[in-house]
Amino acid sequence: MSAIKPLAVAVIAAALVLSMSACNKKEESVALPAPAPVPAAVPAPDVINVPVSVKQVTLSNKIDETTRQAAVAMNTFASGDTIYAVVETIGSGKTAIKSLWTYHKGDKTAQVNEAVQEIDAVGPASTEFHISKPDGWPTGDYQVEVFVNGTSVNVQKFTVK
Amino acid sequence: MNTSGNTPGDDMPDFSNVESGASSTAKEAAPAYKLYTIKSGDSLSRIAKHEYGNANDWRRIFEANQDTIKDPDKIFPGQEIKIPL
Repeated sequence: MSAIKPLAVAVIAAALVLSMSACNKKEESVALPAPAPVPAAVPAPDVINVPVSVKQVTLSNKIDETTRQAAVAMNTFASGDTIYAVVETIGSGKTAIKSLWTYHKGDKTAQVNEAVQEIDAVGPASTEFHISKPDGWPTGDYQVEVFVNGTSVNVQKFTVK
Repeated sequence: MNTSGNTPGDDMPDFSNVESGASSTAKEAAPAYKLYTIKSGDSLSRIAKHEYGNANDWRRIFEANQDTIKDPDKIFPGQEIKIPL
C-alpha cells in the first residue's frame, strides 16, 4: 500500500501536468480576433497656414452677435429685414473682404451698397456684412457678390417679397 | 451704420438711404468702410451729413482717405473714397 501511494501521486501529478499542458495548447490555438485596421492617417486640411479663402457665404436676417454665424440660411427676405451676408473663411493673413450688393430688374442693375472689411486672420473666421433700408426694401431680385483681395469668389442671389 | 450715397437710375429704386455695417471674428486690420464714388456737387461735409447726420464729421472721412485726398476741398466726380462704417 505504501509503495502504491507514491506511484498514485506521481500518476495524478502527471495527469494534471498533461491536462494543464493541453489547456494551454487549447488556449494557444484559439485564434485571436484580428486587430481593427488602423485607418491610414489622413492629415486634416490645413485651415491656418494657407492664404485666406472663402469656405462659404450664407445669407440670413439674423446672426449670432458673438460667433457671427447665420441663425438660419435664407434666400427670401421681407421688406423690413436687415440682410446679413456671413462670409466664412479659412487661412491666415491680412485680407480685404468686400461685399457688393446689387438690385436687378430686367437687364438693369442698381448698386445697393459696397463695403470692405479688412481682417488679419489667423485660421477660420466669420465676417458679416449687413444692410438695411429704413423705408423697406423694394421687392425684387438682388445679389451680393463677395470679393477677396479684389477677386470675385462668391455670388449669392436672393429675393425680397 | 452708414447710408449709401447711390442715386436711383431711370426707373430703378432709390437705395441712397441704405444703412450698412460689417464686423468679423478675426482681428480687424482696419475699420470697415463703405466705398463711395464722388458725384458732381459733393463735398466731404455734405457726404458726412448724409452718411453720419453731421457735416462736422467730414474730418473722419478725410482722415480715412489721406492716401488719396491731400486737400479736403479738392475732390472730384468719379473719385472713389472710403467712408468709415
